[in-house]
Amino acid sequence: MSEYTFTADQEKEIERILAKYPVKTSALLPLLTLVQRADQVVSPEAMVAIGKKLDVSPAYVQSVMSFYTMYHTEKVGKYMILFCINISCQLNGCDRLLEHTAKKLNIKVGETTSDEKFTLHREECLAACTEAPMMRVNDTYYGNLTEQRIDQILDSLD
Amino acid sequence: MSEVTLTIDGKSVTVPKGTKVVDAAKQVDVDIPVFCYHEKIGPLGCCRMCLVEVEKMPKLMTACTMDVAPDMVVKTVGDKVEKAQKGVLEFTLLNHPLDCPVCDKGGECPLQDNTFKYGPPDTRMEFHRANNVKAAPLSPVITIDRERCIACQRCTAYSERIEQNRELVMLNRGFHNEVNTFNNQPYDNRFSGNVIDICPVGALTNTDFRFKARTWDLTNHDTLCANCGVNCNITFGTRLNELMRIEARPNDAVDDGWICDKGRWGHQFVDSKNRITAARENSVGKTEPTSFPNFPIDAPTEEAAEKVVEVFKRIAEEHGPESIGFIGSPYATNEESFLYQKLFRLLGTNNIDHKPYQETPGLPVNHYDIDAIESSNIVLLIASDPTEELPILDLRIKKAVTRCGTKLLSLNDQTTALDKYAGLTVKYKIGSEASAIDALAEGLARELGESIDFSSDLAQTGIPADEMKSLVEAVRSSMKICVVYNPAALSGDSALRVKRLLSVISKIPTVECGAIPAAPATNAVGAMDMGLLPDFYPGGVPVSDSEKIKELWGEEAPTKAGLTTLEMLAKAKSGELKALWVHRSNPVVDFPGGDQVVEALKNLDLLVVHDMLETETTQLAKIVLPSSGPGFDEGTTTNIGGRIQARRKALDSGVPADWKLISIMLKKLGDETEYSRVAKVLNDIAKRVPGYQEINARLVGKLGINREQVTVENASPGNLEGANGNGKLKLRVASYLFAHDKILDASSKLAHHFKSSSAFLNESDAGSLGVANGDRVRISGNGVELDAEVNVDNRCAAGGIVVPKVSDEQGVNGLVNLDGSPAWVEIKKV
Amino acid sequence: MTQILFKDINKEGLRTMKVYEELGGYQSLKKAFAQKPEEIVEAVKASGLRGRGGAGFPTGLKWSFLAKDVFPRYLCCNADESEPGTCKDRELLLKNPHLLIEGMILCSYACRIETGYIYMRGEFHDLSFIMDKALDEARAKGYLGKNILGSGFDLDIYTHLGAGAYICGEESALLNSLEGGRGEPRMKPPFPAVEGLYSKPTVINNVETLCVVPYIVNEGAESYAALGTEKSKGTKLVSVSGHVKKPGNYEIELGTPTSELIYNLAGGIQNDNKLKAFIPGGSSVPMLPASKVDTPYDYESLAEAGTMLGSGALIVIDDSINIVEATLRLISFYMHESCGKCTPCREGTRWLHQIVERIMQQKGKLEYITRLEDICDNMSFKTFCPLADACVAPVVSSIKHFRADYEEYFKNIPAGAAS
Repeated sequence: MSEYTFTADQEKEIERILAKYPVKTSALLPLLTLVQRADQVVSPEAMVAIGKKLDVSPAYVQSVMSFYTMYHTEKVGKYMILFCINISCQLNGCDRLLEHTAKKLNIKVGETTSDEKFTLHREECLAACTEAPMMRVNDTYYGNLTEQRIDQILDSLD
Repeated sequence: MSEVTLTIDGKSVTVPKGTKVVDAAKQVDVDIPVFCYHEKIGPLGCCRMCLVEVEKMPKLMTACTMDVAPDMVVKTVGDKVEKAQKGVLEFTLLNHPLDCPVCDKGGECPLQDNTFKYGPPDTRMEFHRANNVKAAPLSPVITIDRERCIACQRCTAYSERIEQNRELVMLNRGFHNEVNTFNNQPYDNRFSGNVIDICPVGALTNTDFRFKARTWDLTNHDTLCANCGVNCNITFGTRLNELMRIEARPNDAVDDGWICDKGRWGHQFVDSKNRITAARENSVGKTEPTSFPNFPIDAPTEEAAEKVVEVFKRIAEEHGPESIGFIGSPYATNEESFLYQKLFRLLGTNNIDHKPYQETPGLPVNHYDIDAIESSNIVLLIASDPTEELPILDLRIKKAVTRCGTKLLSLNDQTTALDKYAGLTVKYKIGSEASAIDALAEGLARELGESIDFSSDLAQTGIPADEMKSLVEAVRSSMKICVVYNPAALSGDSALRVKRLLSVISKIPTVECGAIPAAPATNAVGAMDMGLLPDFYPGGVPVSDSEKIKELWGEEAPTKAGLTTLEMLAKAKSGELKALWVHRSNPVVDFPGGDQVVEALKNLDLLVVHDMLETETTQLAKIVLPSSGPGFDEGTTTNIGGRIQARRKALDSGVPADWKLISIMLKKLGDETEYSRVAKVLNDIAKRVPGYQEINARLVGKLGINREQVTVENASPGNLEGANGNGKLKLRVASYLFAHDKILDASSKLAHHFKSSSAFLNESDAGSLGVANGDRVRISGNGVELDAEVNVDNRCAAGGIVVPKVSDEQGVNGLVNLDGSPAWVEIKKV
Repeated sequence: MTQILFKDINKEGLRTMKVYEELGGYQSLKKAFAQKPEEIVEAVKASGLRGRGGAGFPTGLKWSFLAKDVFPRYLCCNADESEPGTCKDRELLLKNPHLLIEGMILCSYACRIETGYIYMRGEFHDLSFIMDKALDEARAKGYLGKNILGSGFDLDIYTHLGAGAYICGEESALLNSLEGGRGEPRMKPPFPAVEGLYSKPTVINNVETLCVVPYIVNEGAESYAALGTEKSKGTKLVSVSGHVKKPGNYEIELGTPTSELIYNLAGGIQNDNKLKAFIPGGSSVPMLPASKVDTPYDYESLAEAGTMLGSGALIVIDDSINIVEATLRLISFYMHESCGKCTPCREGTRWLHQIVERIMQQKGKLEYITRLEDICDNMSFKTFCPLADACVAPVVSSIKHFRADYEEYFKNIPAGAAS
């Protein structure tokens, strides 16, 4: 296993994160997030590196990481589409729209497009129920979706 | 601690505050079923099997997470509880495969038992059970069946709370939860096997035992592990006179319910091809031995032994009793050692020893049992590396530090795995322990207002003055201190200095002080107690105390101090020692000297080796006698905590028991004591060994008993000598638990732990030698050369080198001179 | 209707310090610092404010449970809003971050806390930037940091992001997650007020709850207590979603009829369909049939009707769907979010899913309906945390009120086709 190295900027950010907590392990999720956002994946090498920073075993890092749905062990696309399928969105026709989105991207739900641009995931409630149906693309929430609106949004992303 | 009285199923019970309801119920024989709860691991609350009704509580409560409360009324029966139990079991079994007929856990499975007792008669599950990986290797010795796993988290909690490496964890979430390691790496550490014992289903099984036998076909023998000085309690499961498996047999005073992997898988030597099964004569040495009669080939062992002991008698008569010697074994039982020392003292010699280092029997302070570590607020480790030497002590210390508020201090010449639990680690330069220990004693004496000067030289140790001050202060301000020292890792007479230090600590009025002499060998304490020593009779009676010796051992008993092992070997080399008897010891490999030892042994007129496995030393012996050894033998051993426990016979060897053989020889020499059973030997020990007066087989029983204090006169170490290496490095031979030796041979289940030689160097020395991590170096000293891989990690201070003994073949002890003087070695890059 | 939290919610620039202060923001601090901390706790008690996250526990009482004389103490703001149907906290965080900060300062002063964390669900990453910016502004103004406004009181607040786990909204799971662990709930006792974050006394409050506190300090406990009903005091943010014409977050006085929320504020049912059912307090509470639509929206009345106010998420379902479809979706959610620690939850959620799915495939047996109820009984109140109970709620209530919807799937099964 090769060694994972943080960039100088990341090291600075890690310092800033660590300063927030009296106990180092609290920085575990933030550090995993840092890596996930930079690499679009958390590799075993990164888990080892994070474990070293926080004095915990790599097994512990993996144990924590695998509990949360936002970390990925396989690289996800440049745009991560989380499509809410929970009740308020269901009542407003999300299933049909999700199907439309998958078809448009020519992938199945859970997959990444071959150009690694989009990953489409079914997602539980994202706390935007009053804008149902909705999806989150990376950090941005898009509500009141229709087929046309989805097409527009996806086409506008480069 | 205050007590709480509550009612469980109408029965009143009083227990200490903080007790869990599930444990309180046991007191009144109320069985509350559990899966995840384990007394030693603590509550988890995962499995929900222990739901009970508690008056005034609206919902059912888990008995394993709930503390008792005054006047609490608990009901473990009734419709509500029974429905819940059935419900939980139905859920638990929902996706559990029905492969009980081929499951190794069958017959001793809590899931089977609880289902039998509390479960629903049938299942309503109509869907396919979830499929998962079956029988995958979790490590070379543990198999995991993820279908059988009920996700109770006992094993992962063990990894977190007991073993504390957090190598075994729960991955994923919810129904996809699984027990695993990082990146599917093997779960491989010194204590991994305990997860097999605690798994309440057949998910974690002993790979070696798989499909070997049904559990109910096993004969289980309650005995002791023979692989280190802790003497953990084990169950030795046999079938048709074959070892099937080893399990932990909890004894809170010794092992706290755990055993190490060497205990679990390190007894395969009972099946070894190298086992000695008959007496024989080797064609070695001089072709015509001066005093040696014809030795009948294929003679029964008893007859051979009788003949050989007669020859020893003749040699003693011809050349004087100083011309014979006995090297006993720190691995032998008390009974064997007791009888052997009796035999040789009957031959008129005190040339009796069992170790290549200096140590005296007894302690000037309390001899603490192992569980005292938990109640001590300070544990001071001196030159001790429990993780490699006495593994279960490692778990106990970690428990004390993390759960009992104990502070760990370490005074050592090398970094050890336990250092990360230590509040203070003080490192002295290799070989400077005398000054380090004396400086601590002096510092404490000063605090007491006494001006003791042991002329220690702190500068020589490399310990900064403020560090030593902190150590002095930590010891001084302790309320109860337990000093754990390894005499085998101390050079010169430093073990005596430890005893002098203990005397000083015991003078501090506010401190309660005790110690554990933590030599790694199985019965090191017993060997000392049984008088396998040139200057002490059993029970710490010094040879100078002729009055007491005559009273206990008769008018003829020798009272002149004999030779130590190293002195005996030196005299063998010079020709003054004619005959040497070695019992279950391998001086060629385990003692310093290497080729010098070989030379010395070859120079003897007669070398007799009484051992269970072939060794480098048996190859040099004229006469080899078979020893039964652990698994086959019976008797008692005394562990590092001074606890006498019974080692029981589990297998038939076809070889006479050692105690029997020695008693036959004693009889031949005219001893009249009747040793009809091994218990009779223990009775004789009780009669003649101070400290063992009250001991008998019944008292030893299942869990053992502490012997009385063995006291000894104040030790008086010699004067300190400075030393200079002239550019060479001072060698420290360290321990490695899984060394490739006679116990763990090439066929061992633990062979995956074998390592090649490493040399641990300080950064500054590595720099001046121009070597880096991964480089190969040649270490030379005492005319011996050894190649090793470099590890630059500051395990020791500059000027030293640590080389763990990783195998017999490695011959690391050969780098040390036979006289035991400090070993200066030269390092060259290869 | 009286608006406390949403008074200026759509004011442009509200999230900036400038606008927030112009509208009277942070005025409560001086008032608070002039009082003893205990007085604030008493005021919050007197206001009748109850936890707005879901459990509805009296806030002032919670604060008063902190282990005496044990420091440091921590405040954790629960901004893990994940209960399906709920999105009120997101609107507060997005539009009025300073209100939360002000509330947290008051709570910390009252409880002698020097460190606060805002635990936001991982998906709120963009909101954490807004929050961080607001926190920076507050620091620059001296509302956070050492010796705040010369009061001698120190406090700093940090944001912390989760990473996708509903269960972290449960307060003890939130603490584990904040400590860098798996979001598995903890054993109670000890309760967080005694041993919480880093084993120290900890207050955990929902965003909305903390946002109410400035009003109580500014206007007095009585004026808050004057709102709402006798036992359910004050106002509540309700997220109305589902089959309504104008879904949205609405602030109502507690006790307002549910029908008012659905038909007036939210504009009535989509396509003018008929109301079939509503889930008044987020997916974890039992659903009610249309006949109960006039139930006053307050803790007691909803409890009397057999459900709970929960997090204040009113999910409206019209008669265009079979209720079993919605139920399966919710079971699926709880199955996905179960941490897996407790056997009944880990296995039970999956089993319920298998059975309901089988029913919907028209391959079930009629006895499955009673079996579902029995499995639910074996799950409820048998686990560490309420997630299993939450999963059971839609199943039991849907069978209770809409048994016919289940029976629908057995109507056209040819004889002998059931497996």
